[in-house]
Amino acid sequence: MAMNEMSSTDQESSEKISIRNVSKAYESTQALGDVSFSVSEGEFCCVVGPSGCGKTTLLRTIAGLDDPDSGSVLVGGNPVTDPGLDRGLVFQEYALFPWRTVRGNIRFGLDRPACECADCEARVRELIDLVGLEGFEDAYPKELSGGMKQRVGIARALAVDPEILLMDEPFGSVDARTRDRLHAELLDIWAQTGQTVVFVTHDIDEAVTLADRVVVMDADPGTVQSTISIDLERPRERTAHDFVDSVAEIRTELGSPVDTRH
Amino acid sequence: MSHQTDTMVTAIFEGDLQRYLRGLGGLLVFLLVWWVGAMTTQPSYLVPGPVDSVHAFFDLFATSTAIVVPIFGSALVLPTGLAHLAQTLFHYVPGLLLGASCGISLGLAMGWNGALDDWLRPLVRVLRPIPPLAWVVFAIVWFGIHHTGAAFIVFVGAFWINFYGAYGGVEGVSSELTDAASTLGVERDLSMLKLVALPSAAPHVLTGFRTSIGRCWMIVVGAELFGAPGVGYEIINASNNLAMATSVAYMFLISLAFLCMDVGFRLVERSVLSWR
Repeated sequence: MAMNEMSSTDQESSEKISIRNVSKAYESTQALGDVSFSVSEGEFCCVVGPSGCGKTTLLRTIAGLDDPDSGSVLVGGNPVTDPGLDRGLVFQEYALFPWRTVRGNIRFGLDRPACECADCEARVRELIDLVGLEGFEDAYPKELSGGMKQRVGIARALAVDPEILLMDEPFGSVDARTRDRLHAELLDIWAQTGQTVVFVTHDIDEAVTLADRVVVMDADPGTVQSTISIDLERPRERTAHDFVDSVAEIRTELGSPVDTRH
Repeated sequence: MSHQTDTMVTAIFEGDLQRYLRGLGGLLVFLLVWWVGAMTTQPSYLVPGPVDSVHAFFDLFATSTAIVVPIFGSALVLPTGLAHLAQTLFHYVPGLLLGASCGISLGLAMGWNGALDDWLRPLVRVLRPIPPLAWVVFAIVWFGIHHTGAAFIVFVGAFWINFYGAYGGVEGVSSELTDAASTLGVERDLSMLKLVALPSAAPHVLTGFRTSIGRCWMIVVGAELFGAPGVGYEIINASNNLAMATSVAYMFLISLAFLCMDVGFRLVERSVLSWR
């Protein structure tokens, strides 16, 4: 699919995130080289690619934690300059505040002056319920398993009700069974909240399980190889014919340039 | 559950018992060597024996001494040992607390603010290696040989240990945590320091403070050898009269005072850092 078609004016209205010719270098390595794509309002968009393709940098740029060297990121039509409560970030290694309990972590964003919640305590309870952590409200992160920690990470990001949820390989450190359950829970939450999700992963199965659309990236420098729509009913069955086809399609996109290089 | 707890308690108890017995063994061997050494050394004042030392220790509490409380100027009558311990604490406690507060503040500020770090780092490199006791001469000419001068030397000692605790702690704050806080609406530098850097650096800060409790006891005794009143002064005072057992008794007293403070602070530390 051609990129100029994605950013054409008739798509502008539903466009939530627009990444325009973003490039970024760290010292000598070119992390991102001229990346452009957009994500529609309410869309679940997965970004897959080999390590070093700059997918984390891309996510951090959308979050406003990294500035691009050139190009820009627009969220709701406004250029991103700083982090903001409209974009929640879920980290691969959870990044929970170890000195705060589950409740304290979830509450962190709600206690900021920029956030207005009528009844913060009720909101925290609602989120604990949403991610299934009843009974662990007063536990510290060290007492939780990886899957539970990431549930806290998700709840903490959701607490301030961001329009966009950015997820950086959030389930990379949890076991396969827990990951399957978290996938189902995440899709439930997404269905309830209707947020726009950008989900970075290197796991093709995970991308096809979750995404409306998969952006395939290539490394050195990070560029968009192609975008592939996944028009499958949810919940998706990994052994289903269509599922396997989509995985194969992405694998071909990912694999071919790497093969020719070696 | 209760069975499991029981076995855990038993296991801990058994492990502890073995440790205690070994520790007791070590103490007994030391006492024996000390006793034999004291018996066989002449003249006897060179090595006062354990029995004489214990006697001297209890003698510290058999008599009373009047001391003057600084600032308030009122007289206070206490058993002699406690009176001299109190004199030490009159400069130890203010020196430690003030030195720790200033050291922690500067450590946090320099660890957090790159520009300030650039400005002060060379100065810190030059001043840091000076042993606190080297400041004795200035303590004497500025404040005189008394509580204030001794407190100043303790201050210098406490300052650097706490400075490095806080500085290292803030430098070690993970950028992932500050990133997480930024995406959750922390905008101002001061909020970041309060909400992320400070709690994250707390273990380092507290370890620095605990180290300074012990180090300042060494420094305070050194400062008193120059004439400030307190247990350190009493050690040298007793030895001038060849009452070496009394010197040992004051050494015990210092050891006990340090142990109490250390245990007390460890308890505070454990409750504050229960999240670790």
